[in-house]
Amino acid sequence: DEDDEDEGIGEWERAYVDDRSWEELQEDESGLLRPIDNSAIYHAQYRRRLRAGTRIQKGLIRYLYIVIDFSRAAAETDFRPSRIAVMAKHVEAFIREFFDQNPLSQVGLVSIKNGVAHTLTDLGGSPETHIKELMGKLEALGDSSLQNALELVNEHLSQVPSYGHREVLILYSALCTCDPGDIMDTIQKCKKSKLRCSVIGLSAEMFICKHLCQETGGLYSVAVDEVHLKDLLLEHAPPPPAIAEFAISNLIKMGFPQRAAEGSMAICSCHKEVKIGAGYMCPRCKARVCDLPTECTICGLTLVSSPHLARSYHHLFPIAPFDEVPALSDSRKDLGKSCFGCQQSLNGAGNKPGPCVTCRKCKHYFCLDCDIYIHESLHNCPGCESIH
Amino acid sequence: MAGGQVEKRVKYKSSVKDPGTSGFLRIKEAMLLFVPDDPKSDSKLKVQTQNIKSQKYTKEGSQKPAWLNLTNKQGRSHIFEFGNYPDMHACRDFITKALAKCEEEPNKPAVPASTEQLSIRELELRFKLLKENSELQRLHKQFVESKVLTEDEFWATRKKLLGKDSIRKSKQQLGLKSMMVSGIKPSTDGRTNRVTFNLTPEIIFQSQVVIYWVRNPLIGVQVASCALTYRAPCETIFAEKPAVRQAFISYVPSKMTEKDFWTKYFRAEYLYSTKNTAVAAAEAAEDEELAVFLKPDEILARETRQKIRRVDPTLDMEADEGDDYTHLMDHGIQRDGTRDVVEPQNEQFKRSLLQDLNRHAAVVLEGRSIDVDSEDTRIVAEALTRVKQVSKADGETGKDANQERLERMSRVAGMEDLQAPQNFPLAPLSIKDPRDYFESQQGNVLNAPRGTKGLKRNVHEAFGLLKESIVEIRARGLSDPLIKPEVSFEVFSSLTRTISTAKNIIGKNPRESFLDRLPKSTKDEVLHHWTSIQELLRHFWSSYPITTTYLHTKVGKLKDAMSNTYSKLEAMKESVQSDLRHQISLLVRPMQQALDAAFQHYEADLQRRTAKSSGGERPNGYV
Repeated sequence: DEDDEDEGIGEWERAYVDDRSWEELQEDESGLLRPIDNSAIYHAQYRRRLRAGTRIQKGLIRYLYIVIDFSRAAAETDFRPSRIAVMAKHVEAFIREFFDQNPLSQVGLVSIKNGVAHTLTDLGGSPETHIKELMGKLEALGDSSLQNALELVNEHLSQVPSYGHREVLILYSALCTCDPGDIMDTIQKCKKSKLRCSVIGLSAEMFICKHLCQETGGLYSVAVDEVHLKDLLLEHAPPPPAIAEFAISNLIKMGFPQRAAEGSMAICSCHKEVKIGAGYMCPRCKARVCDLPTECTICGLTLVSSPHLARSYHHLFPIAPFDEVPALSDSRKDLGKSCFGCQQSLNGAGNKPGPCVTCRKCKHYFCLDCDIYIHESLHNCPGCESIH
Repeated sequence: MAGGQVEKRVKYKSSVKDPGTSGFLRIKEAMLLFVPDDPKSDSKLKVQTQNIKSQKYTKEGSQKPAWLNLTNKQGRSHIFEFGNYPDMHACRDFITKALAKCEEEPNKPAVPASTEQLSIRELELRFKLLKENSELQRLHKQFVESKVLTEDEFWATRKKLLGKDSIRKSKQQLGLKSMMVSGIKPSTDGRTNRVTFNLTPEIIFQSQVVIYWVRNPLIGVQVASCALTYRAPCETIFAEKPAVRQAFISYVPSKMTEKDFWTKYFRAEYLYSTKNTAVAAAEAAEDEELAVFLKPDEILARETRQKIRRVDPTLDMEADEGDDYTHLMDHGIQRDGTRDVVEPQNEQFKRSLLQDLNRHAAVVLEGRSIDVDSEDTRIVAEALTRVKQVSKADGETGKDANQERLERMSRVAGMEDLQAPQNFPLAPLSIKDPRDYFESQQGNVLNAPRGTKGLKRNVHEAFGLLKESIVEIRARGLSDPLIKPEVSFEVFSSLTRTISTAKNIIGKNPRESFLDRLPKSTKDEVLHHWTSIQELLRHFWSSYPITTTYLHTKVGKLKDAMSNTYSKLEAMKESVQSDLRHQISLLVRPMQQALDAAFQHYEADLQRRTAKSSGGERPNGYV
């Protein structure tokens, strides 16, 4: 039927009309169209992201506040369907990714409406609470005030223990800030309390945001479209390098609770209900908690499990980036034609050797997809592990 | 209030039903004196402030008269009926202050530094919470009244309920809006000659200011009357136009009403917007007050003259051509040569957009200088005048202001691109790769002497065995049945046992909560014990490590309460019916475990303490 067809082809129609998709086509030297190959682009992007340098400390235990600007400017529709909807969707994805990569950290949400900053959620480690609160109130009103937001966040984060890294990520769509006082004072205050402020702008670059980020050591970037916004947001998910004067080393007490036996029964301290079986018992005060990581409500001990620590740990020991192999190298022919990770053929179109990479230590060959997967998700080289 | 005492007319009642004897109440810091009108009556009262234990009062807004009820330490209560609420509030506040002062001295050594003065509002909130939440009330009764916990400690963990955090956090102020007043264009209704200004509250008024116009053939339009419904402070107008503010203070309410004032003001605005200088001049000649709005702002001119004197010499003043500065005769650059012929007498009635824009921007950047958030326009005007006077006085006294200006100049003088980028040095990581640890351990295992622990096999042996069994299966094929029947029977029966016991506990209806199946009284008891244990344990664990004697006594008290609860739990287990006994004991066991853990910790800590204090010179068990 026509309706179905309309819906089905709607996506490419939109891309055609709005994004001018014909401009992406390229011709080679004989005038024939070249196939659009995105994988090389992704790989190039990913290589740019890798930073193989000396080992630096990273802020693993992060206390991050996400400040979202719900002022009048957020109702603009240059990001489809509207800036608010896009921001909410991407922040949700960011929160999940954040807790994946930083299980020991906590997040809080703040919104700016009508010139006043409101706390949507307090610092907490459960992604569902934050996402629910965020999706509940999506409306844009009034002016935006950077100073009020910074003051509020500063106050909240002043109660955080000294080993935690204080960060704030501001999603700013307005072009001005309507402040009750001198914002430069607030910026100095943030700098003194070691608060690292980063801003992602949605409309244009502003001096005050740039100044704020420069002073506090954060990142300032402006998004040009929805995809770019998502990339910029997800850039903040891995732990940032710790600045030398902010990093204080401390011994932190943590508990590794045992999982409760199948038939055991107890009243859990988070819900006040009788729970049977699944749950954990705090090793110090023997209170029952439902899931990890969390803080014991009775004795305040941070409770984690070893996979959580491991997930934080691999940020400190990244795998060395693989070397690119030039297409016409002799050694290629020796080691076979398939990728060690996925066993797919390494040849590109027409049986010519396609692009691939090799690990320095185990000397195995990997295709580009496996390269991205190993460095971003797996964090272990299959070749090196299989040597033992 | 003559400093240090309050005196009001009251009626004294010894009980609620008493009609009350009228007289005077004099409250001083140290004592309270009631003298009845009738010298013969014997209800003269003298109460020392330290004897007053607490005070209660009736709420404003309720139909009851204003009563203040003071209870003294002996339990007697004195009720005072006031003529009106403000009186009662004044007395109450005074007494609160006096009480607070009394309490401060004796309480200082015993109480830790975190005691805050309890305001009446907080007390109210606490009472309300206790009344509404019976569980909270039970806990409160159990602990605070039996002196296990003090009030402050009890409420310290419940800050959220009290909303204390939000009260303590400073209220955020709104910046001034960037949108301008003149951005509002009136809508004209040609038919009825009505010009309507729609205004929003933050800027001026919260209603439609409907101005009725009457056509006057000679002059044009003239304001006949103006209808205003609701008012709100007009901070922005007063901040931007000090002459208007001055006029307001001097004219209202002496010369004209506020309504008339604003009518004239809007008239002036309308005339400006029409840019009809002839009409403006004519009207100004006619109406003296209107003229105030139409001519240039003298106060502003004075201020700007002062500012010009203090401007940074490196600043390029040529760029400020559009400002009010050009109105000053001895400053400003005139356009080169060609000047428009403007009638000199009407020049003062012109105002350019740039001037308005710049003035508004200057005001917004200064920020909110007053904290007054009132509806009365006059108060706002006066507050602004006060602030301006203060800042003027400060500005004229030189040294600090000079220093600040020099600092600001030097800050601005540096060029951003020429300065080095601010690089925060990153902290280097010095940590060993954990994989090395595991690899070295593996080496240890491989090299360990065999046969020390017969059951433990290392990796190579296991691999060898696996290989052997695979070879065997390949040769023989899989046997039938796959697993020996005795083995499988054992596995199945143990599984059945576990599942059936779990099912017994959960019950046939998985959605029905376990607690609901218990009789109500037992359920309540169990839950109550659980909440009290949680409360005690929370306070217990938060007091460690023990650093002060206060914490030491607190922990002692908590421990006694916990032993109490422990025995209560035991008693409950015994007393419950036999069919439920098993389940209750299952429920109670984790609670007892938690209490045991706390006791253990307490004992261990006590031992460590006594060991430390008794002998540093007896290490490691020397006798």
